[in-house]
Amino acid sequence: MTAPTDRDLLVRAMRGDNDAFGELVTRYQTGVFNVCYRILHERGEAEDLAQETFMRAYNRLEQFDLEREFGPWVRRVAANLCLNHLESRRVSAPLDDERDADQSQRPEKQVEVKERSEQIRGALASLPAQYRVVVELRHYQEMSYDEIASELKIPLSDVKSHLFRARKLLAEKLHAPD
Amino acid sequence: MHLTDDQLNEYLDNESAERAQIDLHLASCSECAARLTALQTLFAELDSLPELELTHSLAARFTRDVNLTPQLPRWLTLTASLQAVLALITLIVAAPFVANLLPAIETPSLTVMLIQLQAQWTTWLDVLSTLQLPQFPQLPPLEISSLMLTLTLAGASVLWLVGNGLLLRKQIK
Repeated sequence: MTAPTDRDLLVRAMRGDNDAFGELVTRYQTGVFNVCYRILHERGEAEDLAQETFMRAYNRLEQFDLEREFGPWVRRVAANLCLNHLESRRVSAPLDDERDADQSQRPEKQVEVKERSEQIRGALASLPAQYRVVVELRHYQEMSYDEIASELKIPLSDVKSHLFRARKLLAEKLHAPD
Repeated sequence: MHLTDDQLNEYLDNESAERAQIDLHLASCSECAARLTALQTLFAELDSLPELELTHSLAARFTRDVNLTPQLPRWLTLTASLQAVLALITLIVAAPFVANLLPAIETPSLTVMLIQLQAQWTTWLDVLSTLQLPQFPQLPPLEISSLMLTLTLAGASVLWLVGNGLLLRKQIK
């Protein structure tokens, strides 16, 4: 038996089938959590925001356009929620000491990857909130400049300046000579 | 004249309207080519960031807490089925008593009923043509012992109440 499509699950969820919505959450929770974690860099907050993202999606099911794809939409909701969260917080929280792990690699290689991943996450977390979200939407959600401008309701020129400055800052942090 | 940072960024993002000119410049300018490579390295590093796993599933909350139509426990489903069976048995047991009382009502054969219906129809047509309401025949009085009727209804009601009380117990809490 083939697995139900997202659209099938959405239709069932709209009719009140919570198990169908639960299945959608299972499919997209890792992606949504990683959006939140890349922006917030704190596991507890990222999990809370990921949960809130799905709560928002659940409460807006009635208005959801079935012609849209659920995955990209819910990840954009997550990015927006994280941006609002950061802007309301306005204080940089201590960074999480989460370590990226890939058990399939040799121990010394694992350490190397973990350290580099941690540096990248640290560099991302040091960016201003707007920059982080623009990087997330461009690099991880693969949205165009116009789509980002529309999603964040900011001018196209701001999208470009945020993105290019963010990259410049990241490069300075990551490629600086020791 | 070198390429600007904006030009290089737009070029790598596939958002540049001047790709041909940039390609031409990059082919002849090692400095700009090196800047492009550095930017590409940053892109690759961002892409290489591994996805982390959640420590717990977020789906459970939607299938448990938010569930507006929770699955009934097995014992409750069995109770509801038992209730339906008991109500059916009550009806079967009560049926002979009710049947004993039915002869008091005269039930004519089908042919007689059809003839009567036809006659009635003719009468109604006549009445309609004169716009007068027809006279309905008086039904024979139904003679059912009030005690028997009360007991049957009370038994069925008790079963209905107990069954539904059990079903709604969770919501009442």
